[in-house]
Amino acid sequence: MLTMAARWLLPALIALATVPGCTLMSRGPTHSGATEAGAQGHATPAGAAQPAPGPLPGEPAPAGGSPGAGAARQFHLGPAAAALVAQAHQQAGTGDPTQASATLERALRIEPDNPLLWVELGRIRLAENNAVQADAMGRKALTLASGDADAQASARDLIAEAMRARGHNPEAYGADQRAAGAAPR
Amino acid sequence: MLLALGAVVLSAALYVLYLDVQVVRQFEGRRWTLPAQVYAAPLELYTGLSLTLPEVEHELQRLHYRRAERLDRPGTYRRQGEHIDVMLRAVRFADEARPAQLLTIDGAESGIGSLRDAAGHDVAVLRLEPLLIGSIFPIHGEDRIVVAPQEVPPLLPAALKAVEDRKFDTHHGVDPLAVLRAAWANLRAGQIAQGGSTLTQQLVRSYFLDSRQTLWRKFREAVMAVALDAHFTKADLMNAYINEIFLGQDGDRAIHGFGLASQFYFGKPLAELDLAETSLLVAIVRGPSYYDPRRHPERALARRNLVLRQLIAQQVVGGAEASAAAQRPLGVTPRPAGAYYPAYLDFVRRTLRRDYREEDLTEAGLRVYTSLAPRAQEQAEHSLQHELERLDKARKRSPVQLQGAVVMTAPQSGEVSAIVGGRDVGYDGFNRALDAHRSMGSLVKPFIYLTALESGRYNAATVVQDAPIDLKLTSGQHWKPENFTREVYGPVPLVRALAESLNLATVGVGLELGLPKVSATLERFGLPRPPELVPAMLLGAVEVTPLEAAELFNGLANGGFRTPLRAVRAVISAEGKPLKAFPLEVAQVASPEVIYQLNRMLVLVMERGTGRAARAQLPAQLVVAGKSGTSSEFRDSWFAGFSGSDLTVVWVGYDDNEPTGLTGASGALPVWAHIMANAGTASWNAPMPDSLAEVHIEYPTGLRVVPGCSEDIVAVAVPGDATLPVRPGCGFPQVSGDTGLIDRARQWLHRLARGM
Repeated sequence: MLTMAARWLLPALIALATVPGCTLMSRGPTHSGATEAGAQGHATPAGAAQPAPGPLPGEPAPAGGSPGAGAARQFHLGPAAAALVAQAHQQAGTGDPTQASATLERALRIEPDNPLLWVELGRIRLAENNAVQADAMGRKALTLASGDADAQASARDLIAEAMRARGHNPEAYGADQRAAGAAPR
Repeated sequence: MLLALGAVVLSAALYVLYLDVQVVRQFEGRRWTLPAQVYAAPLELYTGLSLTLPEVEHELQRLHYRRAERLDRPGTYRRQGEHIDVMLRAVRFADEARPAQLLTIDGAESGIGSLRDAAGHDVAVLRLEPLLIGSIFPIHGEDRIVVAPQEVPPLLPAALKAVEDRKFDTHHGVDPLAVLRAAWANLRAGQIAQGGSTLTQQLVRSYFLDSRQTLWRKFREAVMAVALDAHFTKADLMNAYINEIFLGQDGDRAIHGFGLASQFYFGKPLAELDLAETSLLVAIVRGPSYYDPRRHPERALARRNLVLRQLIAQQVVGGAEASAAAQRPLGVTPRPAGAYYPAYLDFVRRTLRRDYREEDLTEAGLRVYTSLAPRAQEQAEHSLQHELERLDKARKRSPVQLQGAVVMTAPQSGEVSAIVGGRDVGYDGFNRALDAHRSMGSLVKPFIYLTALESGRYNAATVVQDAPIDLKLTSGQHWKPENFTREVYGPVPLVRALAESLNLATVGVGLELGLPKVSATLERFGLPRPPELVPAMLLGAVEVTPLEAAELFNGLANGGFRTPLRAVRAVISAEGKPLKAFPLEVAQVASPEVIYQLNRMLVLVMERGTGRAARAQLPAQLVVAGKSGTSSEFRDSWFAGFSGSDLTVVWVGYDDNEPTGLTGASGALPVWAHIMANAGTASWNAPMPDSLAEVHIEYPTGLRVVPGCSEDIVAVAVPGDATLPVRPGCGFPQVSGDTGLIDRARQWLHRLARGM
């Protein structure tokens, strides 16, 4: 239980530390009329402000408008999601994973593409002994975390723990990854 | 003689005693059957939400908040310049109960600037209360919301006594004088014009007896009323009356009790009713059908004002106050409030039946929290009706109406935000979204191309043959599919075959992959029944409901993660105890690389292919992905597509399965575009996996080109190690997959030069 608390404490501190910096960047995904990359408010990539391999000014965004592969960025939580994550940690701390999970789902509705929230939810699943879902959420986080080495690392940690919890060898997963795993799992 | 009389008296006394025991036992153990109440998703307010103050105000009005100068009670708000103060009602969510509280919402340029509580402290995030969208009542059954005595405004019992039973506080259950008075009035009128029943008798009639008017029943009613009065307090009986009495009918649903009547007629809690509104409910008691304020507003108004005059006469309210109330309109909502979405409720009911017995749902007072998004639901209903009317005008079969269905989801969670089961949206009948099994047509194609990408032998630029096909089936018949245009396109890149929904090219690819492979992909994404493995399957001879189509496409929109579509978030008991949660579950069913490549192709369907007609309606910068579907002989018109935040599936066709003459692009697409253009949706914006590269190819040939080198170029995502044939003379100076800054600049200059 102690290690569990420590695991949650760190991301919470990180989340809270980033709160003041992103007040103006967060916008509701379902109400956003603007469509430029990164303006949907969920997990504004910190790198979006730099003219990385994005479209040139005046050029229509390329189809997909997606951040190019390898573009460095860093996810953080908006104030609303950060507050909900803090609340979820409290609920999980008092042994109420169902409530914690419901609270994290509220956060995910606000920032559905934020890998940090998927990792958080996966951790709750792990605490509920649902390693299958923990693993799946780790993978979901990993696909969203493209370009953010830290977020990728915490997604991989979650996947590895979920695999250990299922009695699998996480090394095998690493090998899988290296084999560029195009095959569905 | 004396003995006979004695026997009669004794048996009468025994009967009265029997009634007395029966009444007391039943009434003491009373438990109203409480249908489960179903709530929509609450609106989350938070700093940065792009909701303007007028939109916030609209949402408050949807919840029947009243604009007021002074916020002295819950359910009121005021707008002052750039902020809204609102006195939120007490509310019970699945996970917490929240008392009434004051909230200030500050507007900012892009939406909500900040939220503050009564003490002025910042609030990070806060939910409005969820909209009540209906209840699960038994067939021909009673629906009610039970209110506790402290939830009843004192005016209501006072008004009920003044109008229905002036001696309620002093009589012993019956009021003989009132009976005589009523009898005299009836005699003079020559018909039953006045009832002499006390509130207690009315309660007995409603609670214990049927509604036949016989003398014997009258006797029983009187005895039971006296018995009730002897055993229970007046306050108890008044509260029972307020919760029991019949106050309206809505189709199969009988509206019982003032708690539900208040929601049903005014869309707000009983405690918030003003004098005019309370008087109307008291007026309705006498004849809920005759004085139905929606169907007979004049009658209802006249009787309400009669009630107001009686209240003055009985000195329940002052003359000035009552006169002012008499000037007010009826104030009922146009349609039964707790807006009624039968197709969505149908899905909720079916979900719950897996875990609950029918009686639990209709009697146990459960509270069910769903993901219905009222804004999306209303938009979907409106768009379907609007576009079908337009399409019908151009149809030959004018007496037969086109039908349609819509399902909307939030892709990442699989939560269903809207379901429309037909164009008559308020009708609780055939739910096409859940029950119409129709050929999916070309909606199957993305799953064939997904299978192709997974094989490793194809990418978006791979040239495939669109060539005539003649297959001899095991039946001995020949199968000769054609393209929609009846033309043959020859060699085309995969991306074009999908964008333009070329049948011959698709069948060629599908046959090369093998039917079992394609079938397995469909099942992996959630197709509930294995399709029949015939070649026509490759052109969509696979029956799905719109909801099933939504689940299949949700897996694409969610980046290759399948999630069961959910409408119910949580269920709590009448006492507020959490009973069941339906947590988010995901399962990876395709690799991110393959899904990303496919979705980029589906974006090109909207830019270049069968979905491009939507462009004119959609916001210019909005990136969406989708696929049209047309079944054989134009019997079904489909469109399934998604943005970053919403997936919408639309089906259009005739119920009798006759041809419509509509393609997916001409029937379902306009409905889809109308919904998505007004949904305030966010662009599809998935990150490209690191192992892929974005390259430019010539749309007609699939040859790789330097941007600007050809007139007809599209950008596609391919595996970083893919080697693509290059168009001669359009060679690319570098080998890497990524297009450099210089190339983008060149492309940009080229576009400028062409005046784009």
